[in-house]
Amino acid sequence: MADVSLIDALTMAMAWELEHDPRVIVLGEDVGVNGGVFRATAGLQKRFGAERVQDTPLAEGMIAGVSIGMAAQGMRPVAEIQFMGFIYPTVDQMISHAGRMRNRTRGRLHCPMVLRAPYGGGIHAPEHHSESTEAFFAHMPGIRVVIPSSPARAYGLLLAAIRNPDPVVFLEPKRIYRLNKQSVEDNGKELPLDVCYTLREGSDVTLVTWGAMTYETLKAADQLAKSGISCEVIDLASISPIDYETILESVEKTGRLVIIHEAARTAGVGAEIAAIVAEKGMYDLRGPIRRVTGYDVVMPLFRREMDYMPSVAKITDTIRESLND
Amino acid sequence: MTTFKLPDLGEGLPEAEIVAWHVAEGDRVNTDDLLVSVETAKAVVEVPSPYTGIIARLHAKAGDVVETGAPLVDFDEDSGGESAGAKPAQEESRPAAGDEETQPRSDAGTVVGNVMSGDDVLQETAIAGGGRRRGRGRVKAAPAVRAEAKRQGIDLAEVTPSGKNGQVTQADLEQFQQQSQQRARPAARPKAPKQAAAPGQSEPLRGPRRAMAQSMTRSRDEVALCTLFDDADIHEWVNKRDFTPRILRSVVAGCAAEPALNGFYDAENVSRQLESRVDIAMAVDTGEGLIVPVIRGVEQRSLDDIRTAVAEMKEATLNRTVAPQDMVNYTITVSNFGMLAGRYATPLMVPPTVAIVGTGKLQHDVVAVMGGIEVHRRIPLSLSFDHRCVTGGEAARFLAAMIEDLEKPQ
Amino acid sequence: METIADFEIQYSQFLDPEGKASPDIPELARNTDELVNMYRHMTETRVFDTKAVNLQRTGKLGTYASCLGHEATHVGLAAAMHEDDVLAPSYREYGAMFYRGVRMSEVLLYWGGDERGSDFQGPKNDFPFCVPIATQTLHAAGAAMAFQLRGESRCAVSVNGDGGTSEGAFYEAMNIAGARKLPVVFIVVNNKWAISVPIELQTASKTLAQKAVAAGIPGIQVDGNDVIAVRHWVERALARGRKGDGATLIEAVTYRLSDHTTADDASRYRKKEEVEAARKLEPLIRMRKYLTSLGLWDDEKEKQLLEQSAEKVDQAVQQYLNTPKAPVESMFDYMYAELPEFLEEQREHAMHYGSDGEGHG
Repeated sequence: MADVSLIDALTMAMAWELEHDPRVIVLGEDVGVNGGVFRATAGLQKRFGAERVQDTPLAEGMIAGVSIGMAAQGMRPVAEIQFMGFIYPTVDQMISHAGRMRNRTRGRLHCPMVLRAPYGGGIHAPEHHSESTEAFFAHMPGIRVVIPSSPARAYGLLLAAIRNPDPVVFLEPKRIYRLNKQSVEDNGKELPLDVCYTLREGSDVTLVTWGAMTYETLKAADQLAKSGISCEVIDLASISPIDYETILESVEKTGRLVIIHEAARTAGVGAEIAAIVAEKGMYDLRGPIRRVTGYDVVMPLFRREMDYMPSVAKITDTIRESLND
Repeated sequence: MTTFKLPDLGEGLPEAEIVAWHVAEGDRVNTDDLLVSVETAKAVVEVPSPYTGIIARLHAKAGDVVETGAPLVDFDEDSGGESAGAKPAQEESRPAAGDEETQPRSDAGTVVGNVMSGDDVLQETAIAGGGRRRGRGRVKAAPAVRAEAKRQGIDLAEVTPSGKNGQVTQADLEQFQQQSQQRARPAARPKAPKQAAAPGQSEPLRGPRRAMAQSMTRSRDEVALCTLFDDADIHEWVNKRDFTPRILRSVVAGCAAEPALNGFYDAENVSRQLESRVDIAMAVDTGEGLIVPVIRGVEQRSLDDIRTAVAEMKEATLNRTVAPQDMVNYTITVSNFGMLAGRYATPLMVPPTVAIVGTGKLQHDVVAVMGGIEVHRRIPLSLSFDHRCVTGGEAARFLAAMIEDLEKPQ
Repeated sequence: METIADFEIQYSQFLDPEGKASPDIPELARNTDELVNMYRHMTETRVFDTKAVNLQRTGKLGTYASCLGHEATHVGLAAAMHEDDVLAPSYREYGAMFYRGVRMSEVLLYWGGDERGSDFQGPKNDFPFCVPIATQTLHAAGAAMAFQLRGESRCAVSVNGDGGTSEGAFYEAMNIAGARKLPVVFIVVNNKWAISVPIELQTASKTLAQKAVAAGIPGIQVDGNDVIAVRHWVERALARGRKGDGATLIEAVTYRLSDHTTADDASRYRKKEEVEAARKLEPLIRMRKYLTSLGLWDDEKEKQLLEQSAEKVDQAVQQYLNTPKAPVESMFDYMYAELPEFLEEQREHAMHYGSDGEGHG
C-alpha cells in the first residue's frame, strides 16, 4: 500500500481498469504522450499503447460524441475534458444522447462512459479554468455526477464510475489533486457510487460539502471542536443521484444543516439539498438551513479567486450563527 | 566574455538538438545574424545571435542535445560596439538564472496556474452512506413550534407529542403550558428536596445524584487534592449584588495570571493540556441533585455579557432546559456552596480538570483598615487544585489574581 | 505562387430521370432480383409515408417527418450495408430503416409518442432516431472507433441533411474519422431545404461533398434519386472502410418533395414551380421505367405491389393503433441500469396519478 495523491489515485484506477477490462479506452486532448495536462493519465499510453490511450483532435463535443458512439457499441470510454471551462460543447451530446440513450431505446442501447474533468478554483489559473458548474450536469436526468475528495475515494469512485453501466460525469477537485496523500491499496476495489461519505461524526450541526471544499469544511469543524462544538461532516461525493437518506438521518440527529459549496449559490446543488431537507426533514430542524457558497458572480480572475470561495472563517461564522438559532 | 544559454524555445521544452551551426569559433557576428538551427520536440527553430562580437566558443556540435539553460555560445563582445549594450531581454528578465537553470525543469503537473502539492498523509475514516436508521432521533417539531417553545422556555422533550409521526404540535405546547402552570402554583414557595423513598428504605441512586457519586469517587481516587483558603474584600463594590458575574470574571483573571489551573491532566500519559478558552462549569444545587451547566468563552465576554449569560443559565437551570451538551466539556469549575451556610470547604474537581473554586457564605467581617477597624463584606474563597500537575505557587498566584480582581469597585 | 493543394468533386448518375441507363452502369444492375427488391422497398416506403401523413392529418399520429422523394437514397444506402454494420440515422430515413429490418409499426410508435418505437426488433445495434441535427455523425465515428479497436470488419454509416453540414459536430466527426482512418461513411442527403432555409443560404460551398476535402477524406456527389448510384458508391465507400482505408463522404442530391414535417407548410417559403420541377426527377418514376425497359415490370405488377404494400402498411397501422400505452412507470425504468433510491418515490407518485386514458384527468 502506497501513500498517493488524489491524482495518482485516479491514474491507478484507470490503469487498473485498462489492465482488467479490454473494453476500457482512455481518450482526450493530450492524454497520451503528455499524460494529460495535470498528468492524470501519465504513463498510461506507454503501458497500454496508443490505441487504448488516445490523443484526440481538439474538439470537446466530438470527444463526448464519439464516446457515446463507442459506449453504445460495447466499449467503456473514459474521456478527459481538460477543464470544466471547456466542457460546455459536450453538454449537447451529454444531455441529448448520453443521458437518454437507455431510456429512448428502452434499454436496447446504453452509454457506459465516463466524462472526466478537473473543476474548481484555487490554482491561480487563467480565465475559464476555475469554474464549478456541477449543477448543470446534476440537472440532467440519466447522468450520474461524482466528485471525489480524497485519494481513497478518487480511486474507489473512479473504478465504480468506469464499471457503472450509466454515463458518469466525474469531476475532479484539481485544487486538492496533490494537496495531501493517503494510503490507497491498488486492489481494484470500487466504492459505492451513490452514497454520501460521513467524514466526521458529530452532534451539534450537520455540514454537507463536496470536492475541495471538504478541506475547508474539515478545518472549520476542527476549529469549532475546540470550543466544544461538535460538527458532523458529510462528503456528498455523489452529486447525482444524491443520497438524501444519510443527510436526513444526520439532520435528524443534529437538527441543524449548513451546506458548503464552491459553486455559485443560485440553483446550486445546495439549493436542492436544502429543498429536500425542508420537504422531508422540516420537523427535525431546530433552525434555518444555511449555505456557504461562491457568490452569484463570474468566477474572478485569480487575484480575487479566494475571496470568491467559501473560507474557513466564512464557514465557522455561519455554523456559529446556525447554533445561535 | 558573455555566455549565451539555450533559451526555452517552446513552452516548457526541456532540451533541443543542434541541427547545424551557421557560425564558427573566431567568426565575427552581428546581433540577429543567424547563429544556429536547433530542433525541439515541436519544430526546427532558427536561433539568431543575441550579441555583436566574436564567437569565442561553441559549447556543442551538430547532433548534440543541449538542455534548456545550458551554455551554448561564448561571445567576446565588442567594447562600445553598436549592439554591445543591447543585451537580450531574456537575460535581463532572468537575473537569477544560475546553475539551476541547467537542470531539467520539474513537472508542475499542470498546464496553467499552480497546483498545490503536499506529502501530508490524510487520516480519515469515511463512512459510506449512513445506513437507513431514521425515525429514532430527537423530538420532531415544526420550526414555528420550536421557536415558540424556545420563547416560552419549554423543553420539547418533556412535551407529549400528538402529531403525525410523533411530532409535537402547537396544541401540545399549549396543553403542556397549562399543565405546567397548574403544577407550578403550589410549588411557588421554596420546598425541600423531594424524598423519593420512605426513610429507612434502601434507594438506588439515580440521575444527577448517581453521577455525583461516580465522579466524586473518581476524584477522591485520582486527585492529589490541596486547597487554599482566603477572602476577598468587596467593600468597594459599586453593584453590591453582582456576585456570580464578578466571581466568573475573577476566575478569568486568575487564569490569565496563572494558566496552569485552566486545563486538563491526563494521568495515564502524565501529560497536561492547558486551554486558552475559559469555559466555566457552575455547580448548582437543585432538588434533583447537583447540575453543572457551562458558560463558555468567559475570557472573551464583557461583564455585561457575563451577566446575560448567567441570567440565561439560571433560567435554563430553573426550567430544566439545559441541554446535555451544555453540561460537558468545561475547563474549570465554580461552586457557590455558601448560599445557606459554610464559609470554607475543600471542593472536589472532576478529573481531568485540575481546579475548582468554592465561594462560601458572604459575611460582614471586622477588618483592619489603615490602623483602624472597619466592617466590610468579604467573600470566603476556597481554591482546590490537583497537586499532581499544579504547584502550590501557581495556585497561590491564581488566587491572588482572583482576589485582586474581586476587590475592584466594578 | 504555386498550387499546393487541389481538389475536384466527381458526380455520378447511372439512371437518368427517364430511366435510361448510362453505359458505365455497375455490376449490381445485372442482379435483376435485387433491382426489383429495391424498387419494392422504395414503393413500400412511399406507401407507408403517404399513410403516415394521413394518420397525422386524422389525429392518429403525432408530428411526422415525411421522406417523400428520398426513397432512392435511403433504400440505396441500406442495400449497400452489411447486416452487422451500424446505421446512425437522423429522423426520416425510413426506407433505410425498413430495409435493415426496423418494423413499420416501430416507426409509427416513435412518431406516435412511444419510446418503444426506438427499441428496434431488427437491427439491434443501430442507433435510434436522432433529432439534434448532425450529433449522430459523432456516434457513427465512435462506433467506427469501437469496430477498429476490436479489429472487426464492420462499418458505421451516418445520415444527415444539407442543414446538418453547417453543424460543428459534422466537421468534428469527419475530422477525427480522417485523422484515425475510421471505417465510417458519412451520407449527406442534400434535399435542398433545411426547413425553410434553401441550400444557397446554408453554404457558399458549391457542393457538400467538397466538405470532405478539409478532413482529408474522399467526397463524392451522387444523384440521390438514382438508387443504383447511391448503392454503388456506398458499397465502394464501405469496402474502403472495411479494408482499413478510412472514411468517405457521399453527398446524395435529391429533393424534399414534402413539407419539413406535418407541422410545416412549405408553400410559405418555396415556389410551387420548383416543387413541380423536382417532382419530375423523383426516384420511383425512373426506376419503374428502367425495370419496364428491362422487361421486369408492368402495370399488373405495379398494381399488385401497391396492393401488397397497402396491406402491409395497414397491418402495421393496426398493430400500432392496438399497442396500449406503456405503463406510466416505464418512464423511470430505463433511466438507469438500477433505479436510484430517490427516484422510487417519484415513480410511485407517477403511478398513483398515472392515467390510462388520454390526457390528464
